[in-house]
Amino acid sequence: MRTAVLILLLFITSTTYAQTIISGVVTDEKGAAIPGANVSIEGTYDGASTSVEGVFQFDTSEKGAHIITISFIGFKTSSQPVNLTSEPIQLKISLKEEINQLEAVVISAGSFTAGEEKRRTILKAVDIATTAGATADIAGALNTLPGTQKVGESGRLFVRGGDGSETKTFIDGMLVANAYSPSAPNTPSRGRFLPFMFKGTSFSTGGYSAEYGQALSSALVLDSKDKADINQTDLGLLSVGGDVAHTQVWDRASITGKIQYTNIRPYFGMINQEIDWVKPPASIEGSTAFRQEVGDHGIVKFFGNFNHSDFKLYRHDILDPTKKKSFDYANNYRYGNASFLQAFNNRWSVRGGLSSNYNENNILFEGKPIDEVENETHSKLVFENTLSDRVELKFGVEHFQSNYKASQPDSLLIQQTVAFSTPITAGFAEAEIYASKYFVTRAGARTEFNGLTEKLSVDPRLSIAYKPFRHGQFSLAYGQFRQVTQNQFLRVNQNLEEEKAAHYILNYQVITDNRTFRTELYYKRYSNLVKFINGNPEQLTNAGRGYAQGFELFWRDSKSIRNLDYWVSYSYLDTERDYLNFPIPSAPSFASTHNFSVVGKKFVSEIKSQLGITYSYSSPRAYNNPNSEIFNNGRTPAYQDLSVNISYLPKPFLIIHLSVTNVLGRDNIFGYEYSETPDNNGHYLSRAIRQPAKRFLFLGVFFTISKNKSINQLPNL
Amino acid sequence: MKTTMLILFTFCSVALFANDKYEQAMQTNIQAIYKAQTVEDMQQAVNAFERIGAAEKNKWEPFYYASFGYIMMSTREEDGSKKDIMLDKATDVLKQAKTINANESEIVALDGFIYMMRVTVDPATRGQQYSGLAMQEFNKALAINPENPRAMYLLAQMEFGTAQFFKASTADACATAAKAIEKFDNYKNENALAPRWGKESAQRVASQCN
Repeated sequence: MRTAVLILLLFITSTTYAQTIISGVVTDEKGAAIPGANVSIEGTYDGASTSVEGVFQFDTSEKGAHIITISFIGFKTSSQPVNLTSEPIQLKISLKEEINQLEAVVISAGSFTAGEEKRRTILKAVDIATTAGATADIAGALNTLPGTQKVGESGRLFVRGGDGSETKTFIDGMLVANAYSPSAPNTPSRGRFLPFMFKGTSFSTGGYSAEYGQALSSALVLDSKDKADINQTDLGLLSVGGDVAHTQVWDRASITGKIQYTNIRPYFGMINQEIDWVKPPASIEGSTAFRQEVGDHGIVKFFGNFNHSDFKLYRHDILDPTKKKSFDYANNYRYGNASFLQAFNNRWSVRGGLSSNYNENNILFEGKPIDEVENETHSKLVFENTLSDRVELKFGVEHFQSNYKASQPDSLLIQQTVAFSTPITAGFAEAEIYASKYFVTRAGARTEFNGLTEKLSVDPRLSIAYKPFRHGQFSLAYGQFRQVTQNQFLRVNQNLEEEKAAHYILNYQVITDNRTFRTELYYKRYSNLVKFINGNPEQLTNAGRGYAQGFELFWRDSKSIRNLDYWVSYSYLDTERDYLNFPIPSAPSFASTHNFSVVGKKFVSEIKSQLGITYSYSSPRAYNNPNSEIFNNGRTPAYQDLSVNISYLPKPFLIIHLSVTNVLGRDNIFGYEYSETPDNNGHYLSRAIRQPAKRFLFLGVFFTISKNKSINQLPNL
Repeated sequence: MKTTMLILFTFCSVALFANDKYEQAMQTNIQAIYKAQTVEDMQQAVNAFERIGAAEKNKWEPFYYASFGYIMMSTREEDGSKKDIMLDKATDVLKQAKTINANESEIVALDGFIYMMRVTVDPATRGQQYSGLAMQEFNKALAINPENPRAMYLLAQMEFGTAQFFKASTADACATAAKAIEKFDNYKNENALAPRWGKESAQRVASQCN
């Protein structure tokens, strides 16, 4: 009996310990060895790592059917069923690369992205806030990139021969109408949204995704920050006002509130101004941001703000400057944006939102009231499906509703009211397909129904990118774009059709760790532009047309010189339009042929300061001189600006910031206004449109209170 | 009777062996990860931890050490984007440790370590966000277990780096480092697999203080 048990026991043990030897080699799809890959029998400790040659060998006492898994960073995990019978097993495994790794090709035509997380972006989120001369304005910073034009009297983004209204701003995918604060005529306006609210910025100068519609030239897509992580209070004392903000966080939610008061009155008292202010601009603004995380991968965001601003000035007559007319302006603005994102599993996600915008202008011109109310809502629902790591589908629906109402006195001083609304319903679908890590195609289309013109449209979009080199890649983009005619024209003629543009872009870009080179060639064709019949602004058609073409260069280097980061942009633009009152095709007055800028940033730890410098140049712009026989024959002087800033951090929670624009005090002239009627000699008199002040000087002291003293507001500046 | 004994004995030894096997495999690889000098050696140990973790399913230590291994690998990497990929892996495996034991001070401290390493990829851009997060995690780890010397050391490291960046006084950081060393000296843990690393690094921070 005893012997029998012993033998049995021995037998069991020996069978248990009969080993199976598993060996093999792990390579990528091209046959190159993968060292360090993890090979294991699922559910057991047994396994090994591959050697430098991609070879592995281990033994196991397991028996029967098992699964061997092979994994490595950057590759898809592979599984292989095996039957373990003590017979040696030889495996040859080839792992497929995951496409969404950093080396993969990306669609880059027309697009600049500034993000924090993705390393290989052209700009970082913080760059937008710290560019000298931009005074923490998003448009101001983006104006140092190629494809934009410096239009000093407007402050908006003018892209590739398009005017400021052709660039649309989106926050978390939702449209923002009236994205700029109001400003006095011929003075620059600022964006209503501060750069520190956003974790990522994608600025497209053409050829953008079918998701974005109603933008003729450019889409500025801003992604707001996710849930805040730390309780803190921020105080800012500025030479032009002050602000206070507080952030409170919970486990899965956060809320931020901010109140800001701006008053340029004391500042304008100190510095000579071009404008005859009665009451220089002042504004009060409040905003709040709420974030709630939902489930494993969901987030709900809400942002809302209100703003009241006003000013009063005198406009002097050009013929007789002693004659002046009073211009009294007040603006009320409210914006709300609620959006959500929910991923259901690894494949499906849904996002959407609702934004609403109310903008009211109340003007008293020589005591006569001119009132305007604009109200837009945008709702949107988008589904995204990852079919595999190579194919991504996106489709969605959206609705824009724009209401406009204006009233002003007619020649008999009787108040006349115009009101209309433009409903647009749109659907879009787009697929992004990676043929390999080196070749990607994005194809889509957008269809819209405009309820005002009762027209249905379909616009194709296509982008292709190919990466033949380790760091260098080519990208092509084509698309049809349209935009509802501006309200100022629709109020005259509500039968006007949408304005259209076609974009063709070729891009080549090289991004290595800390250097970027980029060049782009483009052609843009405009059609259906608004045109005056016989120069009469009361009679409008869609007969206008035009083109813009050019090339652009961009170089950024933060590697060659220690602690110095700089970029250089150059844009060449050739554009003509036959629109509005133009008797012949001509370059519009906002277009300049050459735009050049250099931005430098350096952190000097000896003085605990970040220094910034920006130089910008724009070649002369056209203007029409009614005294000349030839239309648009005048040329302004070239524009030049040198701006500097310094942020001094004496303590981790305290920052003192000083910035000065136009240090050299150059008298930049943006164009000329002419008297409406000629003088006694039959001559029209002119007046130059200048900068409101030669220099803008800004001083701010920022203080952050939190448990953690190392936090400061530097990234906010 | 003898037979029963024998069977019982075999049974016991199998059960014992199972537990031993885990401890043994862990000890071998813990030694390996502490001693590893090259990325290849680290990867090898990390792979072993991942295999053990996948097989055991309810033990947090394998995932903890796998995450620690990926962090160590990231310290050897120069390329920022590759560093990020390693830290992504460190975050992924640590998440698995968290689902098993959400309230372990060591896991929370390691989470903060990952954030601290994220800062080093691009201090100017990431400093504010990630240093805040790192500090928050270190403090959370100390709230769970005030005697965790590693949480205290990492806090000292973070404070020291911040003070250096701002050319400020390192007095606070040095006091924290001294406290950390004290905690290392008094550290006791019944868990044979509990982390033991960090004392030398704490001493290195302290040695820069005067």
